[in-house]
Amino acid sequence: MKDLTQDTTRDTTQDTTHGELHSELAGTFDTTAMATETTLLNPRFYTTDFDEMDRIDVTPVRAEWDALLAQMKSDPNKGHFKKTEAWDKVDWDGMDPALRTEFIDFLVSSCTAEFSGCVLYKEMKRRGTNADICELFNYMARDEARHAGFINDALREAGVAVNLGFLTKAKKYTYFRPKFIYYATYLSEKIGYARYITIYRHLEAHPEQRFHPIFKWFREWCNDEFSHGEAFALLMRTDPKLTTSFTNRLWIKFFLVAVYSTMWVRDHARKDFHAALGVDIDWYDQEVYRKTSAIAKQVFPMEIDIDHKAWIPNLNRMNAAMIDMEKGKRKGGLSGRVAHATASARAMLAFARLYLIPVIRSTPPANVRLEPTY
Amino acid sequence: MGIFSKAKEIVPCTVEVSHRFESLHAHVRFDNGAVVHPGDEVLVHGAPILAGYGEVIVERRTATITRATPLERWWTRATGDLGFMELCEFSFSEELLA
Repeated sequence: MKDLTQDTTRDTTQDTTHGELHSELAGTFDTTAMATETTLLNPRFYTTDFDEMDRIDVTPVRAEWDALLAQMKSDPNKGHFKKTEAWDKVDWDGMDPALRTEFIDFLVSSCTAEFSGCVLYKEMKRRGTNADICELFNYMARDEARHAGFINDALREAGVAVNLGFLTKAKKYTYFRPKFIYYATYLSEKIGYARYITIYRHLEAHPEQRFHPIFKWFREWCNDEFSHGEAFALLMRTDPKLTTSFTNRLWIKFFLVAVYSTMWVRDHARKDFHAALGVDIDWYDQEVYRKTSAIAKQVFPMEIDIDHKAWIPNLNRMNAAMIDMEKGKRKGGLSGRVAHATASARAMLAFARLYLIPVIRSTPPANVRLEPTY
Repeated sequence: MGIFSKAKEIVPCTVEVSHRFESLHAHVRFDNGAVVHPGDEVLVHGAPILAGYGEVIVERRTATITRATPLERWWTRATGDLGFMELCEFSFSEELLA
């Protein structure tokens, strides 16, 4: 790390190598020594076309927009993210090591996602001049930071400390067009809702499989995700081209297939986590797609045909190919590279087959707003 | 600015790191209104800001913004969208093998 001027005396006692700590949690987690593991949060930094975002005019959806923003302003979940007596003692020592590894991965990834969302939303709020948009991003940044803090506390209990030292490392800013942010973030928030509520309802019926208290908080939690998704749905409604033009329809289909298939692959790599919850991964993922698709019809003019006979077989092909890609990468050398390239071609083929499954067309309703009903 | 030369700017900034139960966040604000563009790199000077649990640290520091060349900026804009999966949340990391 470069030695540079520091205009404050804080932190001078800190060891600068702290910033070099990295997250290597899998397999190295030591339950006997609490708070010995440090994971360096590593969010990404983005820019977008802020001028384009400033030009957004929410007039066409003003009534719905104002109602949603008023709800976000009232902050219905303000009191929710507190540890109450419902937060049972977690037996980290007694937890199966494989389950613990996957569960910690779940917590760290979720915390990073909330944290990155916070960084992105805060940046948009700061760079924008459009009062409507800035207000929205301010509330969303607040929610994400709150969620991140809550997950962080669960990590602390597990003996995992989060390091925010990334700020003093060089960060390159990448770029997304606003519409890519809308599609990806909208889907991400709605899938997040569907994932959380599906687990919550399952554990409501099978409380004996709730191996950690954080799942009890999922119902109110996912309502935040839901309303963030609503805001992006309204943003997309301000410009009909975003969801109706030929090119954008192809993009939307691409996003849906990419996000659904990635979720399939990642979930299937966490067998212990889902087994502990008593959740069949195929069932769970299809259920999450079903809910997400039903919700996304509010703004997308299509849904993916997840009951098509080619859907699950190609998801499984994609999964197998992705695992082989990673094996090839780990192996290294020429044979590893060849294996990686071959598997990569198989993954692309599986993706193309998924993409070519005809969609089920739909017409978004006149009134875009939905309430969480699952 | 030439096509290959990189401009560097030293700018004052305010860093806020919150490591509390109520909010986990970290932000950098450039005090002179400097704006970051695609492909630029930002380095906040000084030691890592390590907020202990329950702490909020607000510090004024300096940062170097290394401006991307026009070519890099164009490239970042042209290809940035390809990384869109980073915007999506899947609950789990991309690791597939234990």
